Amino acid sequence: MTVFQALVSFFGYLGTILSSPTTLLLLFGSTILGIIFGALPGLTATLGVALLTTLTYSLDTGPALVSLLGIYVGAVYGGSYGSIMINIPGTAAAAATALDGYPKALRGEAGVAIGLTTTASFLGTIVGMLFVVVFTPIISFLALQFTSFEFFLLAFFGILISGSISTPDLVQKGWIAGFFGLFLAVVGRDPLQFYPRFTLGLPQLEGGIEVVPVLIGAFGIPQIIQVLKDRFVTAKAQQVGRVIPSWNKIMHNIPHIIRSALIGVGIGAVPGIGEDIAAWVSYGTAKNTSKHPEIYGTGCDEGIIASETANNACIGGAMIPLLSLGIPGSPPAAMLLGALLLHGIAPGPMLHVEQPTFVFQVSAILLMASAAMYICGILLAPQVVKLLRVPPALFMPIVAVLCLIGSYALGLKIFNLYLMVPIGIIAYYMGELGYPIPPLVIGVILGTMADENLRRALMVSQGSFLPFVTRPVALILLIVILLTVITSTSTFKTFKAKWTAKRSRS
Amino acid sequence: MKKVMLLGMIAMVLITGMMFARGQEEYPSRDITNILVWAAGGGTDLANRLVMAEMAKILKVNINVVNVTGGVGGSVGMLEAYSKPADGYTLCGLSESIVTAGVQGGWDKRVNVWDYFIIGGSPDVLSVSPNAPYKNLKELVDAMKANPKGIKAGASASGSIHHLNLLAFEKGTGAQFNFIPYTGSAPAQNAAMTGEVTVVITSVQEQSELLKAGKLRPLAMLTPDPFKFGDITIPSAFADYPDLAKYLPLEQQIGFGIRRDAPEPVKAKLREAFKQAIKAEAVQKFGRDRFFTIKGIYGDEANKIFDKLESVFSWTLWELGAAKVDPAKLGIPKP
Repeated sequence: MTVFQALVSFFGYLGTILSSPTTLLLLFGSTILGIIFGALPGLTATLGVALLTTLTYSLDTGPALVSLLGIYVGAVYGGSYGSIMINIPGTAAAAATALDGYPKALRGEAGVAIGLTTTASFLGTIVGMLFVVVFTPIISFLALQFTSFEFFLLAFFGILISGSISTPDLVQKGWIAGFFGLFLAVVGRDPLQFYPRFTLGLPQLEGGIEVVPVLIGAFGIPQIIQVLKDRFVTAKAQQVGRVIPSWNKIMHNIPHIIRSALIGVGIGAVPGIGEDIAAWVSYGTAKNTSKHPEIYGTGCDEGIIASETANNACIGGAMIPLLSLGIPGSPPAAMLLGALLLHGIAPGPMLHVEQPTFVFQVSAILLMASAAMYICGILLAPQVVKLLRVPPALFMPIVAVLCLIGSYALGLKIFNLYLMVPIGIIAYYMGELGYPIPPLVIGVILGTMADENLRRALMVSQGSFLPFVTRPVALILLIVILLTVITSTSTFKTFKAKWTAKRSRS
Repeated sequence: MKKVMLLGMIAMVLITGMMFARGQEEYPSRDITNILVWAAGGGTDLANRLVMAEMAKILKVNINVVNVTGGVGGSVGMLEAYSKPADGYTLCGLSESIVTAGVQGGWDKRVNVWDYFIIGGSPDVLSVSPNAPYKNLKELVDAMKANPKGIKAGASASGSIHHLNLLAFEKGTGAQFNFIPYTGSAPAQNAAMTGEVTVVITSVQEQSELLKAGKLRPLAMLTPDPFKFGDITIPSAFADYPDLAKYLPLEQQIGFGIRRDAPEPVKAKLREAFKQAIKAEAVQKFGRDRFFTIKGIYGDEANKIFDKLESVFSWTLWELGAAKVDPAKLGIPKP
């Protein structure tokens, strides 16, 4: 297929979507539903896509795909609302956004922060889409370099970096929180040989500790306790004013946006890991490469841009292995795969032979979905911010009820509530002692992946650790991990300080 | 006056009686619900939705498919479906893996409380990475014998249908793999493409796109008959290793069940509708497109298949140490 033919089919699909009022209605409806799903704690992008898969079963493939991608894009973006306004991320993918989004909202700039996440998410989705079109073959080749060794190192790196970034004082505290999450992740029957670990004989623990009650408990409960103690106020909304960030601000941040989007696409393309780790790695990279790392965590634009661009760019990234290999790049993409199969489309290496224009259809829909998300987001932001005018005494109990429902709704398991409340209380005391909460949650999310892949890797190598240094991708990841650890030690910091001092003298 | 009242009462009794009789005769008179134990979008879900749509046309009522997932071996959905009256208005969409619910502690009886309707399943195929040196099954088995436990084989984690096929293959050929478990068929196939494992055992349906693209090379079917896949014919492993017939085939069985204590006329009606639905063009086309063997088995024949699966799965899991409940306690006979 020539470039010209590709462009014709891409714009052909755009035209089809734009010219059909029902499809447009479907697009906006699913996107708004996605934003609501994202914003409410406990309702995730995966759940949204799953719900719509059943609802759109009877529709044609085109409109069904429009609504599925609409809710996916909307939900990944919507998670940031909770992060910014009440410091309770709606989804795990938006946890990194809370680091700078919430301080910004506390300064009364919630509207500005939402405008910024909306723009960042929009640009992120667009870059992700471009990659789907241009780089599908190359990236799917790279994704195949990932075996159990690399998956383990990547998961481990994700936990480590979320610890390094989100800690208020000592990085070691962040790592401890991360390892606590890692420990929670190994509870249950092990995924490879079904051996029960730390289940205390409770049948409910056999399936392991679910992520959603941990996410909601660890972020929601401390926040509610804080407000009840009345030491903390919810963000103020004095200035609704201008929501759309200025052109200058965007241009100024172009390097950040491009770097974050690239990280998002790259991580999305690796099968099995998703938006959450993309946001953390991107935030970490932004902070580590910044000339002013000290402004991160105080409500800076760069931090918000880094996490939100990356988590939305991840969508496009996750489409790449899905379309080219039939392997979903993230959990919501796995649900999307099921939906596509229901509609008689079998994503895989033969897709470009059997349905050569399908990739362009997906990218056209992604473009439209991100546009719909942008329009909805900019229109919604001033209204959402008004919610903050509700006094905390009324607002927080509603949040508390939503948290409880969110934990219960996913599996309709009462046990999840018994799990969520103690974890929330532990998280509260950890917070009081200066241990950050995000690494705890990331530990639970990535812990299963780290555990399963390390054990499998050692089965494959028959107990040898050598492949960690002989496999090229593994070696790179190992070096990055070692650098992260070494540069955080006090010895290294003293050494660096002395060295810079010496150099400035000479 | 009294006579009129008496006549009236007799008439009412007669009418009620007739209505009752009609109600029993004319199953189904309202919508049927199929409680499906696996997630929407999976193989069991797809096949059930298709067949239910065809059966709905024949029975002239709606059949709603509801996914109730969770538990072990689909136990949550099975418990829910079993808690409904045995009147034929509740079906349970299921697959072969539900037979493990008992030994995994999610189901306190045998699974012979259902009457099974088997739509079909996709047979298992043994494939290797395209750059592996083995051109046929014999070369692979010889290499396995020369280097026991030296060749890595991937399949979904311990106790899955594909793992059981792998174990049966080892028994039937007398050679051993180094078994590497994965959390599903897709990651196992992915690992065969990256070269992390050399051999992978999953169903033809799951491998179809990769086989077409030459990303995996099929060596043998783990069923008695060869399989025509596009232009090529995949030979049966039984041809070179007849001993496999003792342990195989163990095939995927996707379908649905109805409580065995449901009235016979209701079951007869469902069987008739099922027979017709299986013949429908949409169902047959699904089979051809997705490399899914449409079987349309019901009654005693289907029940026997599930009895055998229950016994093989439960005892294999118990021997692997992956079962929680002793199959002997549940009264499951040894294979």
